[in-house]
Amino acid sequence: METRPYFVFGDLFSNLATGAFVGGLCTVIITLNWEVSIAMFVGMAIGMVASLPAGILFGSLFGAIEVFLPVMTTGMVAGMVVGMRLSMDVIAFVDAVWVGGACGIGIVIVTYLANVWIQRDAQ
Amino acid sequence: MDDITRKKWDRAAPTFDLWSSSGQEKRWNPFKRILFSNMGNQKVLFVALGTGLDVACFPDDRSITAIDISQKMLDKAKVRTDAYTGDLRVLQADVHDMPFDESQFDQVFTSCTFCSVPDPIGGLRALRRVLKPGGELFMFEHTGSRFFPFKIMMDLMTVVSRRFGPEMNRPTVDNVVKAGYRLKKVTPVYLDVVKTIHAVSTK
Repeated sequence: METRPYFVFGDLFSNLATGAFVGGLCTVIITLNWEVSIAMFVGMAIGMVASLPAGILFGSLFGAIEVFLPVMTTGMVAGMVVGMRLSMDVIAFVDAVWVGGACGIGIVIVTYLANVWIQRDAQ
Repeated sequence: MDDITRKKWDRAAPTFDLWSSSGQEKRWNPFKRILFSNMGNQKVLFVALGTGLDVACFPDDRSITAIDISQKMLDKAKVRTDAYTGDLRVLQADVHDMPFDESQFDQVFTSCTFCSVPDPIGGLRALRRVLKPGGELFMFEHTGSRFFPFKIMMDLMTVVSRRFGPEMNRPTVDNVVKAGYRLKKVTPVYLDVVKTIHAVSTK
């Protein structure tokens, strides 16, 4: 598991920022009364597209694959979650940003745990 | 020589360090240092030197022959290779068509190489040809993943990335076995994607 503070901070910041950005972006595009499944897929697509430049930007600072894979997952998950919530309820921009950011932190935790599990499995 | 691959890496040479030398190399260098510490005092071949970023991770005073398909990459590597304390001989060569006799080297090292070699199994067989019987292959490589959603992502990324650089979804560990090596150890560095591979030629 990564323990160097620069990279741990980088992983958290990259995914927090990407999730928050995707969450905010979804509020501009997806509105109340959209079909939930359509909102979910549109949110996922927004997240995946928006996470590409984020992955390139943060990847150049904090590592390529270790940044790209979680950031793309964050974009996808944040877009899906915020998109679905926006179709069911009125959500403030700030709340959508927080939810997106929380998705990013969650993805970092999941990938760190997966990394530990794979390393233990290989021993 | 494969001109398509050579031209691709010639084009990548001017900006290669911009994308690779900061976050990526800082993140991977400790793991590469551990892998390259296996370089012995015998004859060592290093495949795909690139702009020489890996030279900083080489142990001192070894006798290493390093190849790369792109002369423009090697031109950029010169400052780093000149600074190396050991005997580092550098030449432009295609891994599929290396200008070496059979069984010349005791060890072969690669670093993010077989994501880009056009015919990976053929390239690994070519390395086996120049390795002495029982010679060792040490690789630091990124490969595809078997886990959702990473597998799908890497398959999608490869559609774009292969045009200007590496493929993201290669089954490199399987390719090593198919090329006639016996695996000794596979060590994951990040998820099941970035890993080190230690194998022995079975000829």
